[in-house]
Amino acid sequence: MVENAYVLGMADLMVAKAPAKLVTLGLGSCIGLVIFDHVAKVAGMAHIMLPDSRGAANLEKVGKFADTAVPALVEEMVKLGSVRPHMKAKIAGGAQMFALPGASAEFLTVGAKNVKETTAQLARQGILLVASDTGGNKGRTVEFSTSNWMLKIKTLGKGVTEI
Amino acid sequence: MLDLGSFNSLQLDAIREMGNIGTGNAATALSKLLSCMIDMDVPKVKLVSIYDLAQHYGEPDEQVAAVFVRSTGGFACSLIFIQNEEDARLMVELLLKQQFGDALPQDLSQELRDSALSEVGNIILSSFLNAINILLGTQHQISVPGVAHDMLSSILDVVASIFGQMGEMALMVNTELRVEGAGDSAISGNIIMVPDPDALEILLRKLKVL
Repeated sequence: MVENAYVLGMADLMVAKAPAKLVTLGLGSCIGLVIFDHVAKVAGMAHIMLPDSRGAANLEKVGKFADTAVPALVEEMVKLGSVRPHMKAKIAGGAQMFALPGASAEFLTVGAKNVKETTAQLARQGILLVASDTGGNKGRTVEFSTSNWMLKIKTLGKGVTEI
Repeated sequence: MLDLGSFNSLQLDAIREMGNIGTGNAATALSKLLSCMIDMDVPKVKLVSIYDLAQHYGEPDEQVAAVFVRSTGGFACSLIFIQNEEDARLMVELLLKQQFGDALPQDLSQELRDSALSEVGNIILSSFLNAINILLGTQHQISVPGVAHDMLSSILDVVASIFGQMGEMALMVNTELRVEGAGDSAISGNIIMVPDPDALEILLRKLKVL
């Protein structure tokens, strides 16, 4: 069967039935979150930008914040027939693109906060985080395929890895 | 905090003019550094969606070189000097040729290249900042520059995370600089200034448009 490929932009969130390929390009401090269920054969992805929706003026896109993206993605998975005990998660991203010695700016370390909050939200939902590739100072392009339930990660200068 | 959607054209014009003064000073400094003619565009002030920042500069996964500095003080902002990798390489060679002439070694280490790149970026961005802080009558401190070689969209995540907490739009002041007389095609680079959201009000007051 031919896989349907979906490319997610910033703050997008989507779920698809297998066979499918979910792609998001150039994650810097953002997180590519995948939740999948190989029993129900569904997978979902979110491109998370920030950890915490508190203080946000509006919630146009639930995929934008870790604390709204994780529950929303779980809910969408359930709609496609998945059940929570079968859901597993993989995450990639959360890099710090620039290090400025001596400069303190909260947004420079947002990547680490994204990782922390996404991980905490998965734990709260009772979803097992089976693999992750986070941190560092390089951007990542990620591609999840339901053919092998693997997340392919491309990093400039480091080639391709799979988790 | 100011609502970005409420900016009127007079306010955007004032910010553009400020960008023009900053860019003029940056172009002069770069011209002295490289002993070349520098051509510059009239800056653009854009209110753009944080969800598709990359499309204003190229493809999301295009490889770019970027120099980033933070400026704090009376008017806080972040600045990025961004170029495609090939232009960054040519600019570094142009700078190093000033120093070494024809004795420039062929196999320059990445560390040396990055050091030169961060110096070019630093001079461009500090000159930009000096001019606008004189205009605004503010004091400022500039961070050490940070350099990254990465995908365009990964780099611009920095801008998205500055503005993302408050809304869906970012305010960017953008100018292109071109180094003339450097072979067939000009070397170009973009200066992007991103004011801190909570400094926008100060900015408009100092420019006397609020």
